[in-house]
Amino acid sequence: MEYEFTKEDLKEIEKIKAKYPEVMPATLPVLWVAQNRFGHVEPEVQRLVAKTLGLPEAHVHGVATFYTQYYKEKKGKYVLDVCTCLSCQLCGGYDILEHLEKTLGIKKGETTQDGKFTLNEVECLGACGYAPMLQITNDKYINNLTVEKTDKLIDMLKKDEEPEYEEIEMPLRKVK
Amino acid sequence: MSSADWKNYEPVLIPNVKDIHKIDVYIKNGGYSALKSVLTDKKKWADSKSVVDEVKAANIRGRGGAGFNAGLKWSFMPPADGGPRYLACNGDESEPGTFKDRKIFEYNPHVFIEGALIAAYAMQITTIYVYIRGEYLAYIKMMEKAIQDAYDKGMIGKNIFGSDYSVDFHVTYGAGAYICGEETSMLESLEGKRGYPRVKPPFPAQKGLWGRPTTINNIETLAHVPSVINRGAGWFSSIGAENHPGPILYGISGHVNRPGVYELPSGIPILDLIHDVAGGMKNGKKLKAVIPGGSSTPVLRADQLEGITMDSESLRTAGTMLGTAGMVVMDEDTDMVDMLWRITHFYHHESCGQCTPCREGTGWLEKIMLKIKNGNGEVKDLDLLLDITTQMEGRTICALADAAAWPVRHTITRFRDEFEARCKKSAHAVV
Amino acid sequence: MPEVFIDGKRYEYEGEQRLLQFIQDQGMEVPFFCYHPSMTAPANCRQCMVKVGQPVKDRETGEYEKDEDGERVIRWFPKLQTSCNIMIADGMVVKTQETDDLVKRAQKDNLELILINHPLDCPICDQAGECPLQIQTYKYGPEGSRFEVKKVHKPKRVQLGPRVVLDAERCINCTRCTRFTEEISKTHQLTITSRGDKNYPTAAPGREFDDPYSLNTVDLCPVGALTSADFRFKARVWEMNQTPSIDISNGKGCNIDIWTRDNLVLRITPRFNEEVNDYWMPDEGREAYKRFNENRVSRPLQKLDNEQVNSSWNNAIATISEQVDGVDKKDVTIIASPHASVEENYILAKFASLLGMNPPVFTPHVEKGKGDGFLLTDDLAPNANGCRLLGFEEKSAAGIAAAVEKAKVVLLLSDHLADRGIITTDKLKDTFVAVFATNHSETTKNADLVVPITTAAEHAASYVNVDGRIQRTFPAKETKYSNRRLDLEMSEGRLDRYGTSFDNWITEENKIDCLPLWRFMSELAAYKGMENFAYTSGREIMDEIAAANDLFSGVSYEAMDEQSGITLDKTKTTVKL
Repeated sequence: MEYEFTKEDLKEIEKIKAKYPEVMPATLPVLWVAQNRFGHVEPEVQRLVAKTLGLPEAHVHGVATFYTQYYKEKKGKYVLDVCTCLSCQLCGGYDILEHLEKTLGIKKGETTQDGKFTLNEVECLGACGYAPMLQITNDKYINNLTVEKTDKLIDMLKKDEEPEYEEIEMPLRKVK
Repeated sequence: MSSADWKNYEPVLIPNVKDIHKIDVYIKNGGYSALKSVLTDKKKWADSKSVVDEVKAANIRGRGGAGFNAGLKWSFMPPADGGPRYLACNGDESEPGTFKDRKIFEYNPHVFIEGALIAAYAMQITTIYVYIRGEYLAYIKMMEKAIQDAYDKGMIGKNIFGSDYSVDFHVTYGAGAYICGEETSMLESLEGKRGYPRVKPPFPAQKGLWGRPTTINNIETLAHVPSVINRGAGWFSSIGAENHPGPILYGISGHVNRPGVYELPSGIPILDLIHDVAGGMKNGKKLKAVIPGGSSTPVLRADQLEGITMDSESLRTAGTMLGTAGMVVMDEDTDMVDMLWRITHFYHHESCGQCTPCREGTGWLEKIMLKIKNGNGEVKDLDLLLDITTQMEGRTICALADAAAWPVRHTITRFRDEFEARCKKSAHAVV
Repeated sequence: MPEVFIDGKRYEYEGEQRLLQFIQDQGMEVPFFCYHPSMTAPANCRQCMVKVGQPVKDRETGEYEKDEDGERVIRWFPKLQTSCNIMIADGMVVKTQETDDLVKRAQKDNLELILINHPLDCPICDQAGECPLQIQTYKYGPEGSRFEVKKVHKPKRVQLGPRVVLDAERCINCTRCTRFTEEISKTHQLTITSRGDKNYPTAAPGREFDDPYSLNTVDLCPVGALTSADFRFKARVWEMNQTPSIDISNGKGCNIDIWTRDNLVLRITPRFNEEVNDYWMPDEGREAYKRFNENRVSRPLQKLDNEQVNSSWNNAIATISEQVDGVDKKDVTIIASPHASVEENYILAKFASLLGMNPPVFTPHVEKGKGDGFLLTDDLAPNANGCRLLGFEEKSAAGIAAAVEKAKVVLLLSDHLADRGIITTDKLKDTFVAVFATNHSETTKNADLVVPITTAAEHAASYVNVDGRIQRTFPAKETKYSNRRLDLEMSEGRLDRYGTSFDNWITEENKIDCLPLWRFMSELAAYKGMENFAYTSGREIMDEIAAANDLFSGVSYEAMDEQSGITLDKTKTTVKL
């Protein structure tokens, strides 16, 4: 498949490049632009990024493989990144992960046959106080998970209903 | 304000003001006055160095974990030579147990922006980048908006407040790599590369971004700057513990009733934080252990906590560190072997792979821990683990190897019986 | 002069210097893997740990503070330091593994860690025998391993490019290879992929590592992770002889080592010369090893009834003598060669001059656009400048063709003119052509007489590179008439010294039936009764050239060996065509 950036993408890439005195710093953000456009950064996409920025393909490949959020292969429509690290482990992150494995009928790291869900175990997402939690496709955090909340989330996603952003106040903060 | 008086503490970093994240509300509540003061009040601030001196006197100890005096760090910048100079704001917060800077992004982005602008002026910096971890997409968007708003209001850009000072401010972000929270790794990442920490010297103040003088500060650290400017160094350093003064964003997680982020003076007794601030232990369980400041800080047993306060001095005597003040609380049911295995897994996963001791050592630690966790460990494995930690500590370019080694060493040492019991069990099983 | 103390001994130094390099330069050792003097120092292997301290100075007086014993007070760095990235400073005190147990322990610890995921497959690894990891493990490593869990598995036998094979499990992530493509060859073809202990070097997916300098990464690799697709599994390094030489595949004259076993050249590697090629050489030069083994002319060939048949040395001598004597001297064209050494060209010219024949002419072998400003040159011959310095007339291709056409006898030295399209083979039909050649070609096939001569791998001779630098070779492989034990220019390898006749690798098979040109010409001269024309070595010829030709004054084998070559008067060596 031939991958091309759209005109808007290219405009955004120009904006990104303008932030830095050199082109190379655009590598990470442009990989993001590419992933947002194509859903992954498979080798062909990495090559497009390299070509667009005039950077060595090996460099882009090295960067893409260093950072875990870039999908080096196609993923399901919803990538569920379940945190099991420290606080999430203590608060039942593994229970949520196992529950999702059972519910979706896949093991962590796998994608459901219908291509709807990919399930991952991930490292700390910086939501330790709201454990256990997961992140959907590099975007929304779903916090304080219980089995019931997880089931509800899967039902929603199956219907392509996206959950809301969850705002969590600081417990002692009394806004006037 | 003393630490004991924390109940009467009025937050300044994230004040109790509705919609303070909106620039108009922020300005209406005195926001950007500190910036205006340093840029225009020549009587109070004769030059940019006077700002550095004030911040140095306040002793804002870096809130990213290392605890270095921010103003002192600023003073390391060489004199301006007309070339570009950078401030890189570290919003990569990824240390397990740490989730505080996101509250600034969400609830008071402008206090951070203002702090960064003052820092930039103080060091005669020409461009500011804020590097946010890629997972914080929501906060990245919030920051992009806040910075745009500040540009629109003329707080960022050319000739701010009519002064001759101009600066640019950009949001940039990662894509999943704990190591990018290490300051030089963050610079590499910002430069579009694999996040390999740099060899020091040269230090970033000499050669940072694109070989130019650069200072790196944590988000919370910078967010403290406006109040230091507004209220003076003396005010700041009188709050909380003398050795580690000022308000701190405590992140409390684990087995407590009310986990979350709290803005309170430094130096609060750990037990107060757990039992009063965070609402006590969940389900009435007994407290077993606490990791005081992120996963790399050595764990303390419940019996070690009496009288220990959340400041570097007190924690050092207890045999641990303040780190990021991201406290993880564990109850009596916590399996320390499982907990430690998960920490070793984290560091193994996040080692960048540049230096030998870390690349190889973190994996070895995890594999032995897994063996023990699965009941196949022997007591000699515990001593091997301790030995490996000495082979890693202090032998690498950055501190990730140390961060991986400390929890192993201290968790095993402080919970030796529990680890040996797990090993012994397996020995009997074989017989 | 600033001073530094290493293991208790005082050294003076000048300028900016890396500690590790300085230690090595003093003939001492600290183990290391990632450091390379021609590239940046990432300090990632962490092997070269030493203890470093600075003397404490009194702030006011600027004097060193002294303890009770009158010794300088030393403030030690709180951690051990990697010596590769520490710059020496005045008064610095250094303790290496020789004098400090903590340093010794740290180096041992590090080796244990490097080895835990290393396959330890030395018995089947090409690098064994010349492997820094193997050597340093023996010297500084732990005696055993405490690693009893599973090793990380990574791709093996990956054909990274046409010439380089990767075994990622052996890789210790020193990044020398990736730094090479970033900093030296600048093709940026390699990167480290993945993270942590899954790291390994690779090209971009679907792309070949076809850098024209790719094989330097094999030399650089401190383990057997990168191996040469060609050399892989051919020989254990200790079975080979290593002989210094010069790359003859182009005009740069990269300094090389020729590696032979049983008189076959098995590989060529670069040899350090700061003035010429640093530590590097192009892949093309390495492939030239085949020229020394394959398609060689072995024993003289003579055309009888339009067919080349084996002849004898006596017959070859008699035939040339006869042919030269049978025509007017003016009808003999002698074509010298930029592919042959200074000595060979000189000897041919001297022969011509003594007999009153036309002086030799030559044509350079240039392919425009082949050069890259680094180690590849447009000039595809190693010695065009040698011909120029000898004063030979430089002709265009057409000029050479015309000279051949009007001659009745042509003596052609080591230049495959027909193969490179300078002359057509039918032009050779009516002329008696004697070719002195190392390898078979279209040109030799059409010659009336082919005299086999030695290659650069079989004789000691000199070549003047594109920059006017004269450098010389050493005989690396024996001919039918030379003997390693007797020829002091030749190296003796482990097998030569300790081998027995039962060793597998000692045969007569690979010795070529050829002579150095000077030996043949001396025989020819003797046959013709010429006096003062008896040469047994390139060394004496060079002495004669240096005495006779100002442009070569001061040149001798001793001087070239001492100075790794000598740059001659450049202005005389750049004659334009």
